[in-house]
Amino acid sequence: MNPHAKLICTVSLIMGTSITISSNHWILAWTGLEINTLAIIPLISKSHHPRAIEATIKYFLTQSTASALILFSSMTNAWSTGQWDITQLNHPTSCLMLTMAIAIKLGLVPFHFWFPEVLQGSSLITALLLSTLMKLPPITLLLLTSQSLNTTLLTLLAISSTLIGGWMGLNQTQTRKILAFSSISHLGWMIMIISYNPQLTILTFILYTIMTSTVFLSLAQIKVLKLSTLLISWTKTPMLNATVMLTLLSLAGLPPLTGFMPKWLIIQELTKQEMTPMATIITMLSLLSLFFYLRLAYHSTITLPPNSSNHMKLWRTNKTLNTPTAILTALSTTLLPLSPLIITML
Amino acid sequence: MLKIILPTIMLLPTALLSPAKSMWTNTTMYSLLIASISLHWLTPSYYPTKTLTLWTGMDQISTPLLVLSCWFLPLMIMASQGHLQHEPHKRKRMFISTLIIIQPFIILAFSATELMLFYISFEATLIPTLILITRWGNQPERLSAGIYLLFYTLISSLPLLVSILYLHTNTGTLHLPIIKLTHPNLPASWTSLLSSLALLMAFMVKAPLYGLHLWLPKAHVEAPIAGSMLLAALLLKLGGYGIMRVTLLMEPVSNFLHYPFLTLALWGALMTSSICLRQTDLKSLIAYSSVSHMGLVIAASMIQTQWSFSGAMILMISHGLTSSLLFCLANTNYERTHSRILILTRGLQPLLPLMSVWWLLANLTNMALPPTTNLMAELTIMVALFNWSSPTIILTGTATLLTASYTLYMLLSTQRGTLPSHITTTPNSNTREHLLMTLHIIPMLTLILKPELISGTPL
Repeated sequence: MNPHAKLICTVSLIMGTSITISSNHWILAWTGLEINTLAIIPLISKSHHPRAIEATIKYFLTQSTASALILFSSMTNAWSTGQWDITQLNHPTSCLMLTMAIAIKLGLVPFHFWFPEVLQGSSLITALLLSTLMKLPPITLLLLTSQSLNTTLLTLLAISSTLIGGWMGLNQTQTRKILAFSSISHLGWMIMIISYNPQLTILTFILYTIMTSTVFLSLAQIKVLKLSTLLISWTKTPMLNATVMLTLLSLAGLPPLTGFMPKWLIIQELTKQEMTPMATIITMLSLLSLFFYLRLAYHSTITLPPNSSNHMKLWRTNKTLNTPTAILTALSTTLLPLSPLIITML
Repeated sequence: MLKIILPTIMLLPTALLSPAKSMWTNTTMYSLLIASISLHWLTPSYYPTKTLTLWTGMDQISTPLLVLSCWFLPLMIMASQGHLQHEPHKRKRMFISTLIIIQPFIILAFSATELMLFYISFEATLIPTLILITRWGNQPERLSAGIYLLFYTLISSLPLLVSILYLHTNTGTLHLPIIKLTHPNLPASWTSLLSSLALLMAFMVKAPLYGLHLWLPKAHVEAPIAGSMLLAALLLKLGGYGIMRVTLLMEPVSNFLHYPFLTLALWGALMTSSICLRQTDLKSLIAYSSVSHMGLVIAASMIQTQWSFSGAMILMISHGLTSSLLFCLANTNYERTHSRILILTRGLQPLLPLMSVWWLLANLTNMALPPTTNLMAELTIMVALFNWSSPTIILTGTATLLTASYTLYMLLSTQRGTLPSHITTTPNSNTREHLLMTLHIIPMLTLILKPELISGTPL
């Protein structure tokens, strides 16, 4: 990709995101979302592979529909209340439409079909952008309007996202698709808590971003796109594979790794809100995704493929680890003891 | 507390940075030193809880288990030397550090006075155990054993997490001494029934209760020797310990909740003993014998009397030592014959005569012969159960009979009889193995002289 074009895309991506997350006016928020969508499109399609083009089209169609819906819902709201303030979304129909639009943008469950397809069509780094940075503006809109949205609907979306995200990830063999379903089920946790404690949603999002970036960056470093490649990748950087396993278990939310913290805090908040049955359900549903994380973990370091004695091992390149991956790995496995500090910072 | 935990954590750099030649020596000696320092925890104290801090404290229930867990680290390291000798050096280091990482979590779990800290450290033992089993096991079935271990434990312990947090919402604290003082009377409703069930279930799976035990034989069979020792000696005891801790929290409800658990535990003791009689796999036999003994522990800790608690405590400690010893013995045979099948490894007495002394001692303690602490424990538990309801003597009595028979069967089939023709040359048993067995036997024999150290009654 031409460096100038890449620069423009990256800058507008950052600009679009910051416009949306800092805006107070619906039109400005919508503008930011559109800039964001247009900026990521060249990044998805940069390989010019037909699969990438397909992913780009799928992404463009869903995102533009969702943006149009957002614009429509804010206009309906402005029509009836006479103002464009994001936090003042009062009209019930526009609340409903906004929830739907955000669900499309995020890939929450009834509207999730585009997400794994798009991730599968793009490179690992673009997939990382799609599942972290591109989720930030819609989540922010949801946070700003969370007071007026329908709690039951959000809970339903959350439960079904965790269920379907875990369920559909079970029979995947492509790492990007697995991580897409993991993203869907994590979004379920974020949406679950959004009407009770929006700060926890932010915390969950940040921690999810850290953990999933670690996985994506590590997989990009060892160039792994599917499970069978992951199986033979241990010769490249054995230590990285071991830490990938820990990060995956952290994503699954096993104590004493970082991923347990958001689960713990969310369950605590839910029980405080007398939502204990919901807390139990969503916790048990997260076990579904544990299964595919465990399979990824098994493939990354636990098992060796059977091979004959004259089998050619992958060449060990002795590449030095890059520092961001190392820092992110440390963060995504060892933050749990710091949770009192993090809670007070919220 | 910290004077044990910090050195244990510092074992990790010792294992990773020691020169290759002295790595085994350094880690073994250092952990043995920690174990001997930890013995001072056993000194009697006037207070109900020794060294009580905000997060940790030791009372009569946790002290013996803490000392046991410190004692087992050097033994696990020693036992693993044999099967690791052909591994490259880096992997040996990784293996030892996996063993070491579990240790602080187990110590924290046994000494935590805060339920949430207890839960986290209880669960934190899971990942290293999973790595031990799935990375270091031998057969391909180890992967499914790992999945069984992880999912059985998590399916039962995630409701535990929810109900711990529910308890926190209701009572405002999770500090065990305070909870004990305030007696949170959960009103008799479906909610409290379910939350008590969730509180118990995680430990029932970990202990394991008959019916929820299927992960254990798989894990034992697939695990390397250190994993088996860890599971038998310490992790199952986490379950028993947890039951003893949480039954105190839910007194009004457990009156009718304990019937199914008691029934299953006693019936399970009987059933698993009979399963042992027809096992072909030595490790699986020992694993089922663990399930049977832990059934007695569960039954004793469910009826919550002073006698039954001290019986359960003594049984946990002595069973920890005995079953770990049996696993070590099974492993010495396995390293020589590369088979765990009883028919293929019978009649080893002429080849390894000194080993058969250890086999005899281990089996005699396992079948609870006088004057071992196992007998003390079983008698106390049986008396407590008989006092609670007399028909239980039928189940406990039969289970004891069956225990004796399968233990004899194990002893006779491994030691006596004709040697199979394919075992012609075996390496001699070496000093390391004898030392390992001795370090198991010494606490077993010396505890006979002073069982009040482990009986859980105030000194």
